[in-house]
Amino acid sequence: MRRFEYHEPGTLAEASDLLTGLGEGTFLLAGGTDLLVEIRERLRRVHHLVNIKRITDLDAVTLDGEGLRFGALVTAGTLERHPEVARLYPNLWAGLRSLGSIQVRNRATVVGNICRASPSADTIPPLVADGAEIETWAPNGGRRIALADFFTGPGRSVLAPGEIATGIRVPPPATGSGRAYIKHGRRRAMELATVGVAVSLETADGRCTAARIALGAVGPTVLRAPGAEAILTGSRLEAGIVAAAAEQAMLECTPISNVRSSANYRRDMVGVLTRRAVTLALEAAA
Amino acid sequence: MKTLVTLTVNGEERSLAVEGYRSLLDTLREEAGLTGTKKGCDVGDCGACTVIVDGEPVNACLMLAVEAAGRDVRTVEGMQAGPDALHPLQEAFMEHGASQCGFCTPGILLMAQSLLERNPDPSDEEIRFGLSGNICRCTGYTKIFDAIRTAARRMAAPPADASGLEAAE
Amino acid sequence: MTRQDFRIVGQSVKRADVLEKVTGEGLYTGDYAPAGLLHGKIKRSEIAHARIVRIDASKALALPGVKAVLTHADVPRVLHYGSPHPRSASCTRDQYILDDKVRFWGEGVAAVAAISEEIADEALDLIEVEYEPLPAVCDIDAAQVPGAPLIHGVGPGGNLVIPPVHVERGNVEKGFAEADLILEGTFEGGRPVPTYMEPNVCIADWDGSNKLTFWTSTQSSFMVRGALAEVLGLPLNKVRVLVDHMGGGFGAKQDLFQHEFLCALLAKQTRRPVKMEFTRRETFVAGRSRHPFRLWLRQGFRKDGTLVARDMKLVFESGAYGSHSPGVTNVGTASATSLYACENVRLNGRAVYTNTPIAGAYRGYGVVQTYFAIDIQMDEAAERLGVDPAELKLKNAVRDGDIAPSGHPIIGDGLPACIREGITRFDWAAKRAQPREHPTNPAIRRGWGIGCEMHGSSAYPGIKEQGNATVKMNEDGSVTLLTGAAGLGTGAHTALAQIVAEELGVAFESVSVVHGDTDVVPWDIGAFASHTTYLVGSAAKMAAAKVRASVLRRGAERLQARVEDVDLVDGRVFLTANPEQGITVHEAMGPSRGIPAEHLIETASYMPTKSYSFAAHFVEVAVDTETGLVEVKHVLPVHDIGKVIHPIAAQGQIEGGIQQGIGHTLTEDYVIDRTNGRSLNAGLVDYKMPLSMDMPHIETVILEAAPDPGGPWGAKGVGEDPIIAIGPAIANAIHDAIGVRFHHYPITPEDVLKGLRAKEETTNAGL
Repeated sequence: MRRFEYHEPGTLAEASDLLTGLGEGTFLLAGGTDLLVEIRERLRRVHHLVNIKRITDLDAVTLDGEGLRFGALVTAGTLERHPEVARLYPNLWAGLRSLGSIQVRNRATVVGNICRASPSADTIPPLVADGAEIETWAPNGGRRIALADFFTGPGRSVLAPGEIATGIRVPPPATGSGRAYIKHGRRRAMELATVGVAVSLETADGRCTAARIALGAVGPTVLRAPGAEAILTGSRLEAGIVAAAAEQAMLECTPISNVRSSANYRRDMVGVLTRRAVTLALEAAA
Repeated sequence: MKTLVTLTVNGEERSLAVEGYRSLLDTLREEAGLTGTKKGCDVGDCGACTVIVDGEPVNACLMLAVEAAGRDVRTVEGMQAGPDALHPLQEAFMEHGASQCGFCTPGILLMAQSLLERNPDPSDEEIRFGLSGNICRCTGYTKIFDAIRTAARRMAAPPADASGLEAAE
Repeated sequence: MTRQDFRIVGQSVKRADVLEKVTGEGLYTGDYAPAGLLHGKIKRSEIAHARIVRIDASKALALPGVKAVLTHADVPRVLHYGSPHPRSASCTRDQYILDDKVRFWGEGVAAVAAISEEIADEALDLIEVEYEPLPAVCDIDAAQVPGAPLIHGVGPGGNLVIPPVHVERGNVEKGFAEADLILEGTFEGGRPVPTYMEPNVCIADWDGSNKLTFWTSTQSSFMVRGALAEVLGLPLNKVRVLVDHMGGGFGAKQDLFQHEFLCALLAKQTRRPVKMEFTRRETFVAGRSRHPFRLWLRQGFRKDGTLVARDMKLVFESGAYGSHSPGVTNVGTASATSLYACENVRLNGRAVYTNTPIAGAYRGYGVVQTYFAIDIQMDEAAERLGVDPAELKLKNAVRDGDIAPSGHPIIGDGLPACIREGITRFDWAAKRAQPREHPTNPAIRRGWGIGCEMHGSSAYPGIKEQGNATVKMNEDGSVTLLTGAAGLGTGAHTALAQIVAEELGVAFESVSVVHGDTDVVPWDIGAFASHTTYLVGSAAKMAAAKVRASVLRRGAERLQARVEDVDLVDGRVFLTANPEQGITVHEAMGPSRGIPAEHLIETASYMPTKSYSFAAHFVEVAVDTETGLVEVKHVLPVHDIGKVIHPIAAQGQIEGGIQQGIGHTLTEDYVIDRTNGRSLNAGLVDYKMPLSMDMPHIETVILEAAPDPGGPWGAKGVGEDPIIAIGPAIANAIHDAIGVRFHHYPITPEDVLKGLRAKEETTNAGL
């Protein structure tokens, strides 16, 4: 561990002031399961930590006609254990359930997982595929940003200095919709995704009316696969169509090679997992 | 600059002076004298430092000590009901050979205790899932699964005077 | 050995040391905190091969809280063994505590002691090091090219660690001439690391008499004492090494590590106790791995399946220092004389330095690599000859009287017994008669495989070992065993106490064990080579027998009988002819009628040769042909370990070894960038050990088929065996499932897909 100054603001305004006022090396602490690791592994030089856990009203989960909303301090564990989340958003639930360990999920916040902006984050593909939005607070007024537009690169987002993400909104699942998230890793737990594929489908009368595919760990950010989505949309999702969409998704990803996998293998898995995820989502829609 | 942090550890209120950057793990081990909680990786990957905070298992290495202020922390040292009364999980771990080098054992015991508190009759798959954040490199887990099943069975049995039962047999 | 009436041996008694482990009271080295403790840290190189031109610690020393900094200019320049076995002929003196040269990325170049871990860590960044880069050789090919950059100025030449090991028996050319089928292949393996849960840690403290007290997590405390004393120029009685509980070692904690010397020197300079604790990352970078290897194997078979010739060339990658390479090369090469009997063998083994992290001792010690190749090629032979692989392995398995790698005849038919038992218990023939297709999932194919192994208990003949034990009987009849054997988690102390109780004729609970203090316990070579039960157990049994004789003498006196007329069972001395007439051991030992109480102390030493344990593992796998993921579904390991002392502990060894072996075969590989020597996955997320969700159903079977007269009541070792057989069993099962042979580990999902595609292309080309 390295030494740093610790701050515990009581309001978002105070937190924002600290983040902009304390200068370089000032970071916001929510769950801390990534940040504390980065400090300890010397990946990030931190002079000040601004812990937002004492700020009220950031830990609510609501689920109603507007869909799902959860605040910046809601842990992955809390959402994972929410019975309605598992039922209505099995894709998000699968992502939550494969994030780190139970112990990590009891500390890690979902908003933190998102703001960390890792292309392999497990909660991002399902939320992107479901059309989620992120809400922010800023001194001159907050905003709502489509999650698909939030990321600008690995570890980078559109958040401005002093702007703080406060929560996530996920639209309610439409009738006849189905969703799935499949993560590929070498082990069954404690894995960072080699590839993660989330698919959300809407269907009517046996026809796909909308499809969103989000690909994790195969680009600088979580990617959409618009070409593959277009192949599915309007179709009856026959096996040949699904296979064609899966092949198209392989063309739309931009994976790299690293110690976890080669780029070619990642691309192959995008094909396999897209096909499997579409099939699962379709079963859920039925 | 040190802050005085007051928390409950194994039912006892403790006030500990800590630096803001110190983890709960280092604080328990070095300031509270509770070395049963182990440091296997210090980055949340191994589960050896698992403790129960306000009823939820967490990695003590991934929590700052200042964040534990006002909270209830349970460690392996608090598992026993009394000096000579082992927790059924502790008994079962001894009987089944579920502990070899023992370095992962405190974390696994607490994780198992937390699992059984939520789910007194877990399936094999639920036990495996419950331990997925705890690395054991010695046992292959088989004996650990056996021990947890045994403890769950004993804890579920209606309370009875054990000596009386033996006498009846 | 023929004894049948065991009372304690063979029972899974409660391990006394586990009580402290489940309550959290057991003290591991890192749990000690002497008053005034300083924290030490090591600055590690960020280059694989270089000369240090300049190193400046002045800014680090100026940081408030820093108490000392050591660089190569400040430490004794003594060339020492990394693998400190003083009785071994095969050690390589090639390490300095700190050198003006670095030979791998991550080697220590300086050490700091400070009042807190955080300050010590910050001080590392303030140490300025200027390197003159040297060309680095990061794989065995680059290291063996004529004219390759030399990593050391010692050794037999080139980058060889030791002169090549050559073993020849019979006439290989004649053997091949008689062969109807000749198979040839090249096998390779990655760099698994032991990944014990307790990172290396030590504490050094000097007293006013210039005596060093040294707590350390080690398997071989007397080796640590010897090497520290030698390098620091101290007599052995001025170095006291202490180790109580230990969080695993698996072989790698036999070495003496750089931080251990540095910790002692920092404590000496500051006159305060200093603790040095590895981060998890350091356990990879500065720890010890299994040796990566390449093995070329050619074998000849007759039509009836008889193995007639074996030719092998084996290269181990030692990394930047020799460590255990001499032993691993000798053991790994010699092991190829055996497993499947062959009269004509020609074996060549070598170990090569590279600018990569150090390979050392790790469970399976060179044999994992050799038998991976030999067993897989036997499986291929079965395929080519059109016979069942289990039957072919049974036909060729070494038997009683065959010459073992050690040069001694093998005792008993342990391996055939394991294979036969497994064929029945696994229902091998019926399983293999099933379709390979999964009943419901068309992407999955299933397969069944068998892998065999044998492994020696004790490091003989490489090391002439000596086991020692002191058994004391106190005047109340309670017993204390003093042993130098480390308790690295295997339950060895319990097994030793069982042996003493059994031999003495007292209750298990009346025996306590003292260990882990080199000032107190008898000398011990270290806990390794699957030998503690075999070697120290025999010494303990001998010492207990001496105590028993004295107790019988005293008891007979009390009973006014002749010593040959009394017996001692369950803590009672009684007349053999009239068991009702007797006294407790307590009564026998205590004072009575003018005879004072007596305190008995007996010591025994035992010099073993070697015994061999055997195993056959039967495995079911499921292969996802779309993702290449392999899942091990079921393992049935059958082991012959002679007399079983503690069944549950023995099962635990087997199941844990299987866990590590599954990892090595499928997921675990510490990857070094071959272009610059840098570590790519030094952590528990990307170094992928199988965890609770990944473990298959294991159905352990232990046989007492071939007891060895060298061990207590025929007991043999078990620690290393399981990790050896599981690898080829999995590789063979994968072949059975998808028809693709793999000659390397780990077999990654990507490898599986590539293999399937290559097979498809070959099939298509053939059409």
